[in-house]
Amino acid sequence: MRETMPFKAAALAGAFALTGGFGWGGSALAEGEVTISHYFSGELGRAGLEKIFAKFQDAKGITVKDSPIGHEDFKAGILVRAAGGNLPDVFSYWAGARTQFVVDAGNLGAIDEMWGARGLDSVVAKSLADGATMYNGSRYLVPFGYHYAGMFYNTKVMADAGVTEFPTDWDGFMALCADLKAKGVTPIALGSKDRWPAQFWFDYLLLRTAGPDYRAKLMAGEAAYTDDEVKAAMALWKELVDAGYFTANANADGWTDASDKVARGDAAMTLMGTWITGYWNGNGLMAGDDYDFFEFPAIADGVPNAVVGPVDGLLISANAPNRANAEELLAFLVSDEESQGIWAQAQGALSPNVGVDESIYTSVMTRALAAVGNADTFAFNYDLATTPPMAEHGLSMFARFMDDPSGYEGFLADTEDGAKEVFGK
Amino acid sequence: MNRHAVFWRVALLIAPLSVFGVFVVWPLLDSFYYSFTDWNGFNPNYRFIGFENFARVVTDRLFTNAILNTVVWMVLALLLPTLGGLALALLLDSYAVRGANVFKSIFYLPICLSAVVVGQIWVWIYQPDWGLLNSFVEAVTGEPETFAWLAKPQSALYSVIVAWSWQQMGLSMVIFLAGLTAVPADLTEAASIEGANGWQKTWHVVLPMLRPATVVVVALSVINSLKGFDILYIMTAGGPFHSSDTLAMFMYNESFKKYKMGYGSAISVILFLLTLAIIFLYFRQLRKLDEIHG
Repeated sequence: MRETMPFKAAALAGAFALTGGFGWGGSALAEGEVTISHYFSGELGRAGLEKIFAKFQDAKGITVKDSPIGHEDFKAGILVRAAGGNLPDVFSYWAGARTQFVVDAGNLGAIDEMWGARGLDSVVAKSLADGATMYNGSRYLVPFGYHYAGMFYNTKVMADAGVTEFPTDWDGFMALCADLKAKGVTPIALGSKDRWPAQFWFDYLLLRTAGPDYRAKLMAGEAAYTDDEVKAAMALWKELVDAGYFTANANADGWTDASDKVARGDAAMTLMGTWITGYWNGNGLMAGDDYDFFEFPAIADGVPNAVVGPVDGLLISANAPNRANAEELLAFLVSDEESQGIWAQAQGALSPNVGVDESIYTSVMTRALAAVGNADTFAFNYDLATTPPMAEHGLSMFARFMDDPSGYEGFLADTEDGAKEVFGK
Repeated sequence: MNRHAVFWRVALLIAPLSVFGVFVVWPLLDSFYYSFTDWNGFNPNYRFIGFENFARVVTDRLFTNAILNTVVWMVLALLLPTLGGLALALLLDSYAVRGANVFKSIFYLPICLSAVVVGQIWVWIYQPDWGLLNSFVEAVTGEPETFAWLAKPQSALYSVIVAWSWQQMGLSMVIFLAGLTAVPADLTEAASIEGANGWQKTWHVVLPMLRPATVVVVALSVINSLKGFDILYIMTAGGPFHSSDTLAMFMYNESFKKYKMGYGSAISVILFLLTLAIIFLYFRQLRKLDEIHG
């Protein structure tokens, strides 16, 4: 019997190791660490972040434990971690309604004190600080980079088609599309397989016709998808599809497929965020020589000029075990101008840091920055402007529309049914 | 049984039972619990809403759509691999096919791949501009073909089922081949002497003898089809616009995309009960067969 005791202990220890000893999250971490989960899992983004985290470790002596997850999987992954009370110290998230959703759930720690102590008011562009960082009267988000959606085109295709001036109004845009099509070039590539790439069309068409105030109401559930304003925007979109200006089978392509079509010259342009420049640069294309962009044209008179895009933010979870280190990391990531430069170049992002030297940008990105600066309003793109459950209804509607534009009034009615449920209308 | 033996039985069972408890039973009970709430996955302040989630499925047309798709999926994911595997086994078992072993290996190979790899291969096959399928159609008809198999609601689910069946057919084939080795040659020879033709021999002699193998193939096909989430997730993720949503996919999208964890849990409970019912019916049928055939 004496002999069996060590074996008994070993067996029980083994059972414990299999069940309780897996190292569940929430266990205290060693000092000098900070955990971060983010969706910058692409090759260029990861390489850029590794450089930045190494800089942070050198400067502050704090080790960054990094766990990147693919963009689409991140949305579910972070929810699972929140549900399990196992959020990392810091995680990336999109400013706007998605962050509001997490704030309302009480999963985040406010950073007002840190923001003031680090003087971030003088670091972060005021428009971004006002629009992207405050939720329910407190500050929660540090912007890390942001993007602008514009009409990115293949310069050679446009030059070959004899296009020297780019449209600033709707008639000019329609004329450009007609001209390109007549010359055998498909004017617009769209890859809406993952649905979200189609949202920029809806965003700009609605913003340019009904204006930012109406759109804000729609996003908040205070206007209806069956309103004439929404129908008018969709009717314009339909005109473009019916005229054959979009590449066929948009729902079969991802955004990179559509970008590749433009890069190869199979299509002339695509409405996309500035991350496309990071993608194209990574594939050896040269800003200005191989690609450029123009702003989405004006449509209705007297409507304020709005630009659309997402803001990538960083948040600290409410129960972060390494809160002080997390604050240190967030302050560093937005304040360190060299890191911001690395990030802008790796990701094709615009920097929220007002002190960043514009020489870090390509000529195209400098013009994108100017476009944002000249705009009356910076609006979050659709799936960041409305609540995540509502965005699901809307994004499906866009993909459905691309499959069968003629049915858009019915699709809008279905979307409004979803809105009634989501907003309790 | 002495205390020593009892101790070891208990000690050795603790580990697997604990793992089973933590990773299967606990989440299952959790799903039941959350199915009675309006939890959104983030907010700890959820409410108990009784059977509201279960009542909602009755009027949710997307749920009805997912149920119909699940029925289509299960029926076809059972029939196609079973019939295809049987046809291959009968063909390759005949002496007329030279190099049958090579073909057996080739047809079995897909089952060695993960569903994610199979899904990606078929995404490329179905690619409208340069995919193998449309290129083949073009080569045969001489007309350009750009049909987007996975992006059209009328074809997406069926296209995934074809990919799924392509992979599963190899497994059915191998089991049927094993079953065919148990068919005594003298039975088929006797049938030949009695004047039976090839079809009659297959229908009246071989197929009845394959009943045990068929039971195994059907069981595996049912279980595998119920698990068929990964290939759908890779190929369509339930899209376009819910046209290939099965119950499992619908549950995932409602829970993690629309942040309706309570409703998603209710759907998972329904899926669990349906699965339980299918397994119960299957085992009852199996027991009946056992009783009949001894």
